[in-house]
Amino acid sequence: MTFEPKIVGFLCNWCSYTGADLAGTSRIHYAPNVRIIRVMCSARIDPTFVLKALHDGADGVLICGCHPGDCHYSEGNYKMMRRYPLLKRLLADYGIEDARVRLEWVSASEGQRFADIVNDMTERVRELGPSPVQRDLISDAAER
Amino acid sequence: MDDMKIGVYVCNCGTNIAKVVDCDAVAEAASALPGVAVARSYKYMCSNPGQEMIVSDIAEQGLDRIVVAACSPRMHEPTFRKALQQAGVNPYYVEMANIREQCSWVHDDAPAATDKAKALMRAAVLRVARHDALERRSVDMDPATLVIGGGIAGMTAALDLADAGSQVYLVEQSDHLGGNVARVDLTAPYLDSARDMLTERLTRVVEHPRISVVLEGEVEEVAGFVGNFTARIVGRDEERRPVETTVGVGNVIVATGYKEFDARRITHYGYGKLPNVITSFELEKMLRAGRVETKEGKPPQYVAIIHCVGSRNPEFNSYCSRVCCMTALKYAHEIKSAVQGVYVSDIYVDMHAFGKGHEDFYRRTSEVKTLFLMYDKGDSPVVRRADPGDDCGMLIEVNEKLSGETIEIPADLVVLMVGMEARDDSERVAHLVNISRDKDGWFIESHPKLDPVATTTDGVFIAGACQAPKDIPDSVAQARAAAGRILARISRGRLEIDAMYAEVDEDKCSGCRVCNDLCPYVAIEFDEEKKKSHVISALCKSCGACVAACPSSAITALHFTDAQIFAEIEGVLL
Repeated sequence: MTFEPKIVGFLCNWCSYTGADLAGTSRIHYAPNVRIIRVMCSARIDPTFVLKALHDGADGVLICGCHPGDCHYSEGNYKMMRRYPLLKRLLADYGIEDARVRLEWVSASEGQRFADIVNDMTERVRELGPSPVQRDLISDAAER
Repeated sequence: MDDMKIGVYVCNCGTNIAKVVDCDAVAEAASALPGVAVARSYKYMCSNPGQEMIVSDIAEQGLDRIVVAACSPRMHEPTFRKALQQAGVNPYYVEMANIREQCSWVHDDAPAATDKAKALMRAAVLRVARHDALERRSVDMDPATLVIGGGIAGMTAALDLADAGSQVYLVEQSDHLGGNVARVDLTAPYLDSARDMLTERLTRVVEHPRISVVLEGEVEEVAGFVGNFTARIVGRDEERRPVETTVGVGNVIVATGYKEFDARRITHYGYGKLPNVITSFELEKMLRAGRVETKEGKPPQYVAIIHCVGSRNPEFNSYCSRVCCMTALKYAHEIKSAVQGVYVSDIYVDMHAFGKGHEDFYRRTSEVKTLFLMYDKGDSPVVRRADPGDDCGMLIEVNEKLSGETIEIPADLVVLMVGMEARDDSERVAHLVNISRDKDGWFIESHPKLDPVATTTDGVFIAGACQAPKDIPDSVAQARAAAGRILARISRGRLEIDAMYAEVDEDKCSGCRVCNDLCPYVAIEFDEEKKKSHVISALCKSCGACVAACPSSAITALHFTDAQIFAEIEGVLL
């Protein structure tokens, strides 16, 4: 049986969540691996959400916000954009591969783009295999 | 959570959800979760019986939280919040799991889609258990309205609003009102004069005591929120110097219209090179002047009309521009009245005669000897200069679809039915009022069928061809609908807005002021005496930027708390 990754998606309400809805109303099919959590703005995404998702068993985390310049709150996505490199540095220190956490801009009209991103990310995370976090958690527990 | 009584309702949406997701299995999985007292699967949760089911379960079983696994919350969250309110439960005690747009419509693997639906349902159950009762806030509704665009849609909306007693600021970019309709002679299918129709509107708009018209105007900025926008408008005074005014409005109508397709982009029609190849708007000009003639000043013997110029063509615009077919038939009629003995050929892809009176108009026009030639979308005709010996100025080669033959027809005047396109400034306008555009640049409505007038930004409405190609009756209908929606709100005086905003826990606030500059709405104030920050809730739009940034975790986003989002993360990964 092939490994089916579990990916948690944090999507902003105004652009990306609406874009994902558009993929639905347009009947654009994509991989069923991403489970979406809606936030009002990508700026609301606390890095701890990503860490919590990885800790709780996610093999990947997808963050989607409005394209730069298109934020419903004018500049929330820039805040996410600035936070993201710090988060990635931290994740690298933890040994979490780059492709497991991804930031993408998806507008309300980009249903196809959302589907393409989900498919691509699912494929890459599937290639990486299960998250090392789970493996480490299990071995830590065994040592204790 | 165990002391809670959560009701979970799995909507089949007819077969929209049930044909892929096993709704009974999702309900069964729900009933196993702690705190879940009732779990049902039902055909249409948004229907009256569906909502009544929730209301009566609340009454009979004492449910205190509700999860509806159905469509997108962007679609029916307000519906179910109302149902809870009706049942006497705080409307924020409902959470939706989006198992239609995110499952049944995008996955065909039924077991995988069902698993995902269960995960989304679990997340909603865990989340709703952590919901707080919130009180909706109400804000004053400024009765004035800003209308951007002085075409037929903008003027009509302005008149309806002003007639009902509201102040309207009508801002038009050009130096006159009337928009694209002002460029038209007669209108299809009843052949009424566009000028007569417009004159009535124009006179009333200009003379109306409650409409301020700003010509050569630009809206530079729209700030604030529904009920209380402030708009900065730049117009010109008598010496044509720029004059800036700032007005307060409760609502905004965007009616910026369309631009015509640039016919030069299709090179094999020769527009811009062959002098007697003209666009539909150039023909309108001739018709208005009452003289249809070639560049050489002679009445044409042969006129050819080519449809779908820039429309229904994947290379340019894939959509239909909706007005060109009837307009082309109108031209055939008008050209024949204007030029004695002229031969008119009409070169079309499909004849779209969808509107009221259109099919009759098509029949009448086809009876008066117009030569109809059908071409294939992917195989458009080619226009070239005629040879010196020919009795016509140009020749058009058409691969006629019905006969299967290549036909060459003569023409002295070729009329290109140019389609509609989103205006070049549509991106700027979208930013200005914070609305979205689709892939073709048209503004996106709140719901394509049930709410084609509102947008995703509360208080901003769209009317006319800025949303998609439209004829005059449809533009007018949408304009009047937008005005009606706004009047309904104005009449209530105050407007209920979402209860979500951010709150600072002053006990936790260290006074670092990181949040102060982050807020795009300047909604966070620093109390110099207490050395603490606090949120002015009326200004807060609940983006949550400050919440994620606070190093002391002192800020809470109501309805998007850390605890609620953590619960969702746990739920989707269960």
